[in-house]
Amino acid sequence: MSTVRHHVIIGSGVAGNQAAETLREHDPDSRITMITISRLPFFNRYDLPRVFRGERDWRRFIIYPAAYYRDNRITLRRATRVVNVDSASQILKLEHKESIHFDSLLVASGAGAYLPEELSEFRPLLHGFGAFRDAVTVADALPKGGHAILLGGDTIGLDLARTLLDTGHRVTLVAGPYTFWPHEVTPEERPQYIAALQRMGIVVVEAQSRGGIAAIEPGAKGLSARKLTFEDGSELAGDVVMPFFGIAPSLDFMLGSGVDIERGLLVTPNLRTTNENIYAAGDVCQIWTDKARRYCFYHGWKNVRAMGELAARNITGANEPWVPTQDEALHLTADGKIQSPFWEYQ
Amino acid sequence: MSTDIQIAIVGSAGDGTIAAGDILRRAMAEMGYRVISFDVYPPEIRGFGKCIARLRVTDEQAYSLKPQSDVLVSLDDSHAIPHVNEAREWGAVIYEGGSVGPLAEGAHISAHIDPGQIPYNAPIRELSEKSTGSARSRNVVVLGYIAGLFRLSVDPFLRALNSKFKGKADVAKKNEAALRAGFEEGARWFRLDDIAFGPPPAKNGGATVEMISGNAAVVRGALDAGIDNFFGYPITPATSIMERLASEMPKHGTRLVQTEDEISAIGATIGAGFTGARAATATSGPGLALMAEMLGLGVIAEIPSVVYVSQRGGPSTGMPTKTEQSDLNMAVHGGHGDAPRIVIAPTNVEGCYRCGGKAFEMAEAYQTPVIVLLDLYLSNRYETVPFPAQPPFEADTNRYADTRGGKAAGFKRYALTEGHVSPRSIPGQAGGMHVATGLEHNELGRPNDQSAMHTAMSRKRHEKLKAALKHPDFTAYKRFGDEGPVEVGVIAWGSTFGEALEAMILAREEGIRCAALKVVMISPFPTEAVAAFMADSGATLVPELNYQGQFAGILQAHVARPVTRLARVTGEPMEVGEILAEIRRLAGRTPARQAA
Ligand SMILES: Cc1cc2nc3c(=O)[nH]c(=O)nc-3n(C[C@H](O)[C@H](O)[C@H](O)COP(=O)(O)OP(=O)(O)OC[C@H]3O[C@@H](n4cnc5c(N)ncnc54)[C@H](O)[C@@H]3O)c2cc1C
Repeated sequence: MSTVRHHVIIGSGVAGNQAAETLREHDPDSRITMITISRLPFFNRYDLPRVFRGERDWRRFIIYPAAYYRDNRITLRRATRVVNVDSASQILKLEHKESIHFDSLLVASGAGAYLPEELSEFRPLLHGFGAFRDAVTVADALPKGGHAILLGGDTIGLDLARTLLDTGHRVTLVAGPYTFWPHEVTPEERPQYIAALQRMGIVVVEAQSRGGIAAIEPGAKGLSARKLTFEDGSELAGDVVMPFFGIAPSLDFMLGSGVDIERGLLVTPNLRTTNENIYAAGDVCQIWTDKARRYCFYHGWKNVRAMGELAARNITGANEPWVPTQDEALHLTADGKIQSPFWEYQ
Repeated sequence: MSTDIQIAIVGSAGDGTIAAGDILRRAMAEMGYRVISFDVYPPEIRGFGKCIARLRVTDEQAYSLKPQSDVLVSLDDSHAIPHVNEAREWGAVIYEGGSVGPLAEGAHISAHIDPGQIPYNAPIRELSEKSTGSARSRNVVVLGYIAGLFRLSVDPFLRALNSKFKGKADVAKKNEAALRAGFEEGARWFRLDDIAFGPPPAKNGGATVEMISGNAAVVRGALDAGIDNFFGYPITPATSIMERLASEMPKHGTRLVQTEDEISAIGATIGAGFTGARAATATSGPGLALMAEMLGLGVIAEIPSVVYVSQRGGPSTGMPTKTEQSDLNMAVHGGHGDAPRIVIAPTNVEGCYRCGGKAFEMAEAYQTPVIVLLDLYLSNRYETVPFPAQPPFEADTNRYADTRGGKAAGFKRYALTEGHVSPRSIPGQAGGMHVATGLEHNELGRPNDQSAMHTAMSRKRHEKLKAALKHPDFTAYKRFGDEGPVEVGVIAWGSTFGEALEAMILAREEGIRCAALKVVMISPFPTEAVAAFMADSGATLVPELNYQGQFAGILQAHVARPVTRLARVTGEPMEVGEILAEIRRLAGRTPARQAA
């Protein structure tokens, strides 16, 4: 019988790619298959705002050339969706009905943008920002000097706001409980952070002060493309409306797998799920934390990358616990600027 | 070139792969692009063999297909998987995103797409079923998808589709729905590849550009030159010449007869030629072998005849659906005795037209059989060809004797003349001389086996052909690339010349001084031109599709200089990359030095 192990990774984001690299290092003879819905090879999503600076060639975003995958014998299966994982027989099924057997499985399927239910009916009028295509589409929809309305205002959105302002656009933030997510900002701290946003040039509208969002509609002909109406009847016109309400783990395909799930895939500190052959890393997992006595999410690309590396090490025989690598607190610099540790790029 | 896009569609027999390629090339040609295309069929007549339709779309006529395609379409993953590497980096791979039944790991093409290629996993089957009620139109869905994805107008596709299904309104309607469904799907996809169709070239003034296969071009040449009779027996890959003529000749009031075999076909062709008709036959290597004896009669009796030969893999039944250039020796030398004949080999589809028609002029002008040597790759490939408003062929190039009145007295059918061509008369011509003998003869055509006469007549039959090298309005050979001394000279003939030319162009782009000589007339051999070219060449490369290097052998019999043979019998066209690698080697450019 072949002793070559087949390591399968679901997801080709930071976690998945770091894991693949580490697996290759620690198990040189193994087969590695990385599966992703994406049609593009790996790029850092924090790079997406560059699209607004005129960078439209996706090849300038990708981290590794095609040869990297060939040289490292990593089978990268793009445009491929996993729909089911049978943990007992160690087989996963792809949407096109192909079955793949795994010896070890790392779920690194990340998370998608979360949209509060009350806004879901307006989804067709909203511009997403999770993928390269989304970034190009929204950049195309935003005219020179145009007006972007950002809803929620998580750190991903605020990072984009910085680029939008820098590139001569107007930004209005419809703020609420998700503003600054995943950073925890106390009610006492909040005004100073809001003021900092305003100093950056962002117009801040507290949704609550207007009774919440009532409707999002296409703008009238000749006017801005979108019209946002608040419950108090006041209106806001913009060229694009983009939701930034944090993220929700992508794990539909794990629902029948028998692995424990809360909001994310539940893993031990060494990132193993309730099945000994299945690990998870990145935005999709919640890690047991002795100190907090609960399963916690850890955000930010540095944490995610470290998780990918740790999971791969543990899959190949180590038994090390997760230690967060990144401070998650929001700061104000001496000159009153907001600084998030998530905005420190490589 | 601002547009240079090669599309390959791979499927199984029954998937409509070849039909899709046909519609695609018609649509592209209608848009004004230049097209070269070549389809690969399975050897099996029934069953589920692999079919590949490949076409290269350009704004200037290309000479060959590229080794890598920009777009690869899978209509059948089991056949397409071995070809997936054919799609270039950042090129598109279009395939069925779903599957009817469960698949083992690796059975879906997505498992084999390189990270450098762009996957387009379209719901092809679903769109076909939704739009037509069956999965049969997957091939047409794919065409619509290509049009939508690359932002091309759907109208030329619709017109090509409707002309393909002319007279079958119901089929056309269903396929139109499939085309539109595919188009809408393709148009909504976000493009990640870097494939760009530039604007089509402006319409060619005067000439009409048509998309046509090599065999169809031969037929058009024959018709434009006024063919009177055709006699033939079917054989791959020449059959379509006869099929087309069978439908066209009656419209011109001329006759085609399917004979019982190739021996009858050549016999009847020579017989018709004897009567003054423009007559031809078409065959492949095995048929040419059967014709060899009769060709000797045509030579000695000095009767015009045209034989179109499309080569395939041999010997014997060999590889009937694969291309090869291995009948050259037989075309030039095949037969008994010293039996010189004219052998011309077109190098592209336009050349098929010219040679197809010019062959009649030469047969008449030099009173001899003329073999037009094609091969499967040339016969079956399509190119856009600018046809001149007026056919470039002389209606009658016979040198009939004037036997009217008292002038018949001195008439000698086989007179030894200065130019070695004798005046001719045809049966029924008053005062003429109507002999046609296989025996060696004297000037009057009477049997004569005297050594001096045999020597004189043999010389006459050889010498008269030399003038063919300068036949009016015919390119017997042509030099391309750098003038003067070059590091490497490439000499090629027939269908391989396209690849040789492309390789030469690429070599020049790499800074290698290089030229290519196209040799269309192989018998008589253009010795002077070839010798001059070789004198300019530091090294001479002869790529061809046979094992022995048959052309190189003939060349060296005429020009005693060394050549490097690149002889391949893969059954496929020669690869440009292989010729280029050999040019680099001969020019002393190792890859390392190149990089430096
Ligand atoms: C626009 C944007 C900007 C961001 N900016 C920052 C920033 O500035 N700083 C920061 O620290 N973090 C930032 N983040 C967050 C950071 O990018 C994420 O934390 C990180 O990408 C998570 O990595 P991951 O590997 O867990 O998952 P992801 O990167 O989300 O990758 C998930 C992968 O799983 C695949 N997948 C999902 N479901 C399936 C399935 N069913 N079958 C097959 N494959 C599947 C996806 O195709 C994808 O390849 C940003 C995120 C976004 C979207």
